[in-house]
Amino acid sequence: MSEIGMAPAPRPEASAPRREQLVLGIIGTLAFLVIWEAAARFDLINPVVVSNPSRIAAAFVSQLQSGEILGDLAVSLIEFTAGFGLSLVVGIGLGIAMGLNRLTEYAVDPFVWFLYSSPLIAFYPLIIVWLGFGFATVVAITFLLSFVSVVVNTVAGVHGVDPQLVRAVRAFGGTRLDVIRKVILPAAVPLIIAGMRIGLGRALHGVVLGEMFSSNAGLGYRITFYAAHLRTADVFVPLVILVVIGLMINQLGNAVETRLQAWRA
Amino acid sequence: MSVLAQAPVDGGSSWIALARRRSARAVVGFTAVALFLIAWQIAGANEFIRSDLISYPSEVAATLLQMTASGELGSNLAVSLQEFIQGFLPAIAVGIAAGTAFALSTRLHYLFEPLIVALNTSPIIAFVPIVVVWFGVGTQSKAIMVFLAAVIPIVINTMTGITQVHESWIRACRAFGASQAQVIVKAMLPGALPSVMVGVRLAVGRAIVGLIAAEMYVSVRGIGRLIQVYSTSERAAEIFVLVAVVATFGFLLVTLLRRLESLIAPWSLEP
Repeated sequence: MSEIGMAPAPRPEASAPRREQLVLGIIGTLAFLVIWEAAARFDLINPVVVSNPSRIAAAFVSQLQSGEILGDLAVSLIEFTAGFGLSLVVGIGLGIAMGLNRLTEYAVDPFVWFLYSSPLIAFYPLIIVWLGFGFATVVAITFLLSFVSVVVNTVAGVHGVDPQLVRAVRAFGGTRLDVIRKVILPAAVPLIIAGMRIGLGRALHGVVLGEMFSSNAGLGYRITFYAAHLRTADVFVPLVILVVIGLMINQLGNAVETRLQAWRA
Repeated sequence: MSVLAQAPVDGGSSWIALARRRSARAVVGFTAVALFLIAWQIAGANEFIRSDLISYPSEVAATLLQMTASGELGSNLAVSLQEFIQGFLPAIAVGIAAGTAFALSTRLHYLFEPLIVALNTSPIIAFVPIVVVWFGVGTQSKAIMVFLAAVIPIVINTMTGITQVHESWIRACRAFGASQAQVIVKAMLPGALPSVMVGVRLAVGRAIVGLIAAEMYVSVRGIGRLIQVYSTSERAAEIFVLVAVVATFGFLLVTLLRRLESLIAPWSLEP
């Protein structure tokens, strides 16, 4: 499974290095912004083409005031929720079916690995042809990109279930459904969540990809729209929002995993 | 044959059972794929579903031959390949160097951490338009996208790999009078290599997505450009060919990297 997750970055233990980490992180970020701003002010870079932090801040204010960017954010979030929700339902369902039944697993496996390793981005033209321009296509791309990691991890989770527990439930007269509800799902949860983490990141990719190439609303669309009009500072507003969403998803994943480890211990 | 019914405690995970299970997997998987291809062929070739929407395997194969023969595939693949190499090799060099520096100096790591995390967690293709505005519609912006997509996993995995190198190796080197540079070259980098290679393999997939997205967004030549051209003319067969070409490229590169790894660092072989 080493291909699925990136190695976790080393994490400091004590709280004194924690503070150092925070302070140095802020210093590094500020230094980056100051150097960028200065380079633009002293004409080392072309501020109109490259843009600079003060212009981006101004663009942020004006786009917030017009409310336009909030509408795009809402569209992106709805598409994200729909696509990722679908991939959770289908991914966990299919994953459990594959985990419980060898024949299903063997039959579906080649297709799952094809989806996992092929550049799905290249399929988007076909999806547009099939589903038309807009919402359905964006949701479909989001779903396709994210559901495979949920499936793969759910299968691994189900395979990791202790067969003794399964036999115990069966011995006391539990039905198949009981086994799934009481043993398999709880035991598979940690791996399903690991799959969800990867899936969330890929779903965000899917939303942006779908909106960039086949939509007329949403943060991804807004990026291409402003770039096409060479309004560089405006491009950064949806871009920064996407970066922040990515960071929030990551933080959420960290928090859930920490909780989970405490729960399992 | 379900996990629910079966009792895998019989010690029967002997190699005979394992081999039987492997061959069952291969047979069932092969059958499923074959059935899928046959169904696709019948549905497409007989126009049960409009064949310009889904094409069919024999048409895809014929299109592959024809695109290869006309040189269309080769010349565009060469452009994409060149962009890929121009971005990927610097990403490996910078990624390993930066990862090593961050592993040696925690302070330096903390300074750059927000930038790394932001690049790692944000959807990298959102940067395509701005990179094109900054670096133009030519090959340079594609190489930059490949670099940006590939460098982060290499940095993170190098860093993690080095911090996980056995302390005793480093102390042994020092005890025999090794300099800091020698410690890095003789103990840290070889010890980190398995982790670095996982990073490089992850980077391959990301870099391909970055490259194709950038070429699709705007470009003059390249595989992504072809995908864009054929999508506007609704040619499913050509798109399937191009998808297959890109997927094959990724698969070959990852396989090649595994071979290379076992050649230069046999100790890092994963089970």
